[in-house]
Amino acid sequence: MADLSLRNIRKSYSNLEVLHGIDLDIKSGEFIVFVGPSGCGKSTLLRSIAGLETITSGDLIIDGERINNVAPSKRGISMVFQSYALYPHMTVFENMAFGLRIAGLPKAEIDKRVRNAANILQLDSYLQRLPKALSGGQRQRVAIGRAIVRDPRVFLFDEPLSNLDAALRVATRIEIAKLKQSMPDVTMIYVTHDQVEAMTLADRIVVFKDGNIEQVGTPIELYKNPANLFVAQFIGSPSMNILEGKLEKDLSGSAKCKLDCGVALDLGVLPAGVSAEDRLSIGIRPENTQIADAKTNGPVFTGTIDFVEHLGEVQILYVDMPGSDRKYLIKVDGTGTYARTDKIRFTARPQDVHIFDANGAAIARLSQAGVQKQSEYGMQ
Amino acid sequence: MSVTLQSPEREPVDFVQMLAKVCLVTFLVSLGVIVIYPLIWMALNGFKSNSEIFGNPFALPTSFTIGNYISAWNQGIRNYIATSIIVTLGSAICTVLVSAWTAYGLTRSSLPGKPYFVGIVLGGLMLSPTVAVIPLVRMMQDLGLYNTYWALIILYTAFRIPFTTFLIRAYMLGLPRDLDEAAIMDGATEGQIFWKVILPLCKPILVSCVILHVLFAWNEYLFAMIFTSGADLQTLPVGLTSIMAKHGTNYAIVFAAMTLSALPIVIVFFAAQRFFIRGLAEGIGK
Repeated sequence: MADLSLRNIRKSYSNLEVLHGIDLDIKSGEFIVFVGPSGCGKSTLLRSIAGLETITSGDLIIDGERINNVAPSKRGISMVFQSYALYPHMTVFENMAFGLRIAGLPKAEIDKRVRNAANILQLDSYLQRLPKALSGGQRQRVAIGRAIVRDPRVFLFDEPLSNLDAALRVATRIEIAKLKQSMPDVTMIYVTHDQVEAMTLADRIVVFKDGNIEQVGTPIELYKNPANLFVAQFIGSPSMNILEGKLEKDLSGSAKCKLDCGVALDLGVLPAGVSAEDRLSIGIRPENTQIADAKTNGPVFTGTIDFVEHLGEVQILYVDMPGSDRKYLIKVDGTGTYARTDKIRFTARPQDVHIFDANGAAIARLSQAGVQKQSEYGMQ
Repeated sequence: MSVTLQSPEREPVDFVQMLAKVCLVTFLVSLGVIVIYPLIWMALNGFKSNSEIFGNPFALPTSFTIGNYISAWNQGIRNYIATSIIVTLGSAICTVLVSAWTAYGLTRSSLPGKPYFVGIVLGGLMLSPTVAVIPLVRMMQDLGLYNTYWALIILYTAFRIPFTTFLIRAYMLGLPRDLDEAAIMDGATEGQIFWKVILPLCKPILVSCVILHVLFAWNEYLFAMIFTSGADLQTLPVGLTSIMAKHGTNYAIVFAAMTLSALPIVIVFFAAQRFFIRGLAEGIGK
């Protein structure tokens, strides 16, 4: 069991600062996933927690003890590497026992721990094999086993599934989820750029960008209420559609956004800080967009299909909209028939429309409003 | 039908390929003969008498008696081989261990100014042993090491460290850093990482380095001649010249002695050939 606190953690390489003051509290037994694009600092932070990188400033605290200067092996932390990092000249047993032997544990205790971990990970029959005689998934399990035997307070995973093929990745992801269930008191921190892994495994997700935390929350919180444009577009696949527009307020205080595509959206009542004439961004997820039919009230958006991506169960429509150089993506049922150059009309429920200010920060609405058709601009 | 249409086009290509193959095989066989024949000739002449050698140098021996080999063995070759083995093995172990540690430091430590240290170590490749002979003699005399095994072991080690470090360093650069980090997470010290993780993984290049060093030290003449004077401390190359001096006319014994001196090297090379080729290839490739 371990509570982990990061206080204003900064990391610099010469004059280049890559972590700009990270503050984060992780409760004992939580499964935290760090996500973000390449170079955002998530792996650097993980390695700093492990002790493989020195922290330039700030405090790293486990269970109330500041451990910035504690040796990696003394922190009670185990790490599973992206490349597995198994010792190629040692058998599976020796790989798992290496750390315990160095720690000077009795032979019987080492044997017991290794066999116990091998049993959990179904590696019993592979203990005398060399890593080269194992499949990718088995090697990954050995790497996890090597971490388990040390009985750590905190588990760190650095993109552990990225070297596996798609089918094995799903299977191993489920194994990691089960492993977490079997170790409810162990804190786990998992780095990935795969948001499916993040959404399925995490108790809480931490989204990074350029060495800063953009948002921390449960997967559903991040999906439903992204704090800013970056998180909105990073979480969810395909990513959220963004439409640009200008805010217009009427005398009643109700706000409307005149989008560049010519459509006006009634946004309801916005907070006082948002002033008229501000530029806004409107976000609508592809899966929250519905194809409008004759019975639909207020179908607003119109466009021309540029490309149809068939995924079997669903299909993704790439739509050209007037006044926008970005494609608008719509996720629709796989059974519908759509073709390139088809003109379509589509809409979204008011509660599925996200609003962001000119700086990209999300704006919470004080009351909901409907999506109303203002013009048929773009209907050709 | 298709076969008859294709065959006229293929025939010339097949012929050219076959001709090229024949030329290549002939060339390689010729090369092999050029290299191997002198060795076989040397070994065969060890079975002849002196008059047979001069009478018909290229004929086979009339009888395969090992008298010359026994004589050569008893006339000092035994001692020369023993000295050569001690000096060669001693210097090989020292060279490889020191070079491996050096390469480890140059590749896997966070030493400041590492490129400069690499330059200094590899700069040793340009030092000429001949130029350094006189000061080295003085040093060895001052240290009381002149005319001892240690004189040769130290000198062979010192002059081979740059090249051996160069080879091992190239190999170590190819080993993933994650291994060191995994060992650090397991609680290993630098020494344990070196001995238990990195060094065992370097086995192919270490074997290559040992073989290259053995080839050098076994055949080295200049230092062996200058830094040893007593017959009981002479290595094979120096000892062979003294056999020639003593038995200038008995070439049969000289040939037998030369064959005996070459045997250990040939055995070592063939025993470790697999590692040697792999080690060099991987070291350069990564």
